[in-house]
Amino acid sequence: MFVYEKRLQYPVKIKQTNPKLAQIIITQYGGPDGELGASLRYLSQRFSMPVPELKATLNDIGTEELGHLEMIGAIVYQLTKNLNEEQLKAAGFDAYFVDHTTGVYPSSAAGVPFTAAYIQVKGDPITDLHEDMAAEQKARTTYDNILRYCDDPDVIDPIRFLREREVVHYQRFGETLRILTDKLDSKNFYAFNPSFDKKCFKK
Amino acid sequence: MVTDREILIKKISTYSFAIHEYRLYLDTHPKCEVTIKKIKECEAKLKPLIEEYEEKYGPLKKQNDNPKKWTWVNDPWPWEGV
Repeated sequence: MFVYEKRLQYPVKIKQTNPKLAQIIITQYGGPDGELGASLRYLSQRFSMPVPELKATLNDIGTEELGHLEMIGAIVYQLTKNLNEEQLKAAGFDAYFVDHTTGVYPSSAAGVPFTAAYIQVKGDPITDLHEDMAAEQKARTTYDNILRYCDDPDVIDPIRFLREREVVHYQRFGETLRILTDKLDSKNFYAFNPSFDKKCFKK
Repeated sequence: MVTDREILIKKISTYSFAIHEYRLYLDTHPKCEVTIKKIKECEAKLKPLIEEYEEKYGPLKKQNDNPKKWTWVNDPWPWEGV
């Protein structure tokens, strides 16, 4: 169950229209390492997690990512909402505009629509947690790349917040992996799938 | 220009974020009593701020809406940057 709060996790208030930046930042909405993929990945993987701390962490980070999706949508919306025809043509926003006008559509910076092929749900918590740690680092690099294009403090501020969350989530996922392996036979963590072969847990 | 509403929502965001971060930490450290205590401290500071905000600007959660008048639908929505 989800309950909506009528506020952003971190405030977004952008005064300067900048469609070119919006076209770059949209990739964190529906691109390969974006917030939509992150949320779907964790909220789907949680069902087959075998240990309470793992279920809780995936559930709560997956939920937080929905809040990040909303922040990215807000950034894109505010960067394009007062777009005039002149800015539109000067900025090279035409490829996005022709398909979506100034609507917020889940796609990558290159215009590739969102696909579930960006994520995996392997049903093996060791495998899934490694994917999750990699996903946080990929998103962190994407935010670092976005920051190379930003000179507007109104955009830099929320993007830095989101970048920092990737670092914290990476830390939490690392801890869940350790919690899991502590419950397994250290001679060979990979002999079993801890979600499928229940006998692999230490007595 | 920064409005009174923005200052208030920033304070709410700050305490809410601290609580969120402590709770996420507890997911992998569920026995940490120091963290549980810190959450209680933040919650005590957050509660009056939420009450003030909802009184002035409308509900943050649907269930806190005015029982006599439905104000949930009112602008602005969070993504509108107001």
